[in-house]
Amino acid sequence: MKIQELAERLGLRPATKVFDRDVTGVYISDMVSDVIANAKAGDLLVTAQAHANVIAAANLVDTCAVVITQGKALADDVVKMAEKAEIAVFTTALNRWQMATKLYEAGIR
Amino acid sequence: MASEPRTRRYEMVNVRQGYLVIEQENHTLARRSYFAAERTPPLEEYREGNQFWKPQEAAQTFQFDVRDVETGEVVSFGDLVGLLYYACCAPGSTVRQIGDLAHDQQISLYVAITTEGAEGPAPLPLEKVRVLNALFNERLTRPRKKVLILPDLFGLQRQITYEQIAIDFGLTSME
Repeated sequence: MKIQELAERLGLRPATKVFDRDVTGVYISDMVSDVIANAKAGDLLVTAQAHANVIAAANLVDTCAVVITQGKALADDVVKMAEKAEIAVFTTALNRWQMATKLYEAGIR
Repeated sequence: MASEPRTRRYEMVNVRQGYLVIEQENHTLARRSYFAAERTPPLEEYREGNQFWKPQEAAQTFQFDVRDVETGEVVSFGDLVGLLYYACCAPGSTVRQIGDLAHDQQISLYVAITTEGAEGPAPLPLEKVRVLNALFNERLTRPRKKVLILPDLFGLQRQITYEQIAIDFGLTSME
């Protein structure tokens, strides 16, 4: 499934331009070191962290997009950094567990 | 037709969770950092000869080694603190300018930051940097995307704050 379609189905709010890519998996973590060690290219990263290092880690691993949970807003410089790296970032009011169940229900395994 | 799975030469092994501890000497105010693979970061001051070292900050992070699956050789990265993304550097800085140029060619620039000994940091040896570049580039799936990791030839260790490195500073602060 493409990230654009998934975002529409789950009501995710784009915080950046959307760079449409296939979602091949999901990784949920609030630790950038954990993301670097364990996330895979093409994963959708779900996190409560909204700082620049999340984008740095997502870009290094080449995640397909990032979902920031609990309604957190991104600073302007983080938005610019993500767009330059062509990583779409979405926000949601849901928490990580709620997001995980929605992703599972949408068929992302 | 199903594509064959990509074979990778390098894999991350011996992943160790712990803390990057930054400590300061009481009198000279010299600073150094080290990795502590402990459940909680050390907080107590200790004596080393005539010097008294006190932990200042700690960030959750991990260390790892890299195994060459062809030869079985394991390269240790115990001296690597973390990777600094060029876009986290100050606008106009040398690394930011080089990173912007690299970005135009679809290359994402990172700088490998090493632990800071009493004599100061030493850049990661080039052979290790080559291994790191291979490890992270092998994981990418976007065809044109590349990552370029450079040793810290810029003296960034002395200029940046640890919060700029892709490690978990302030993790307990969820603001």
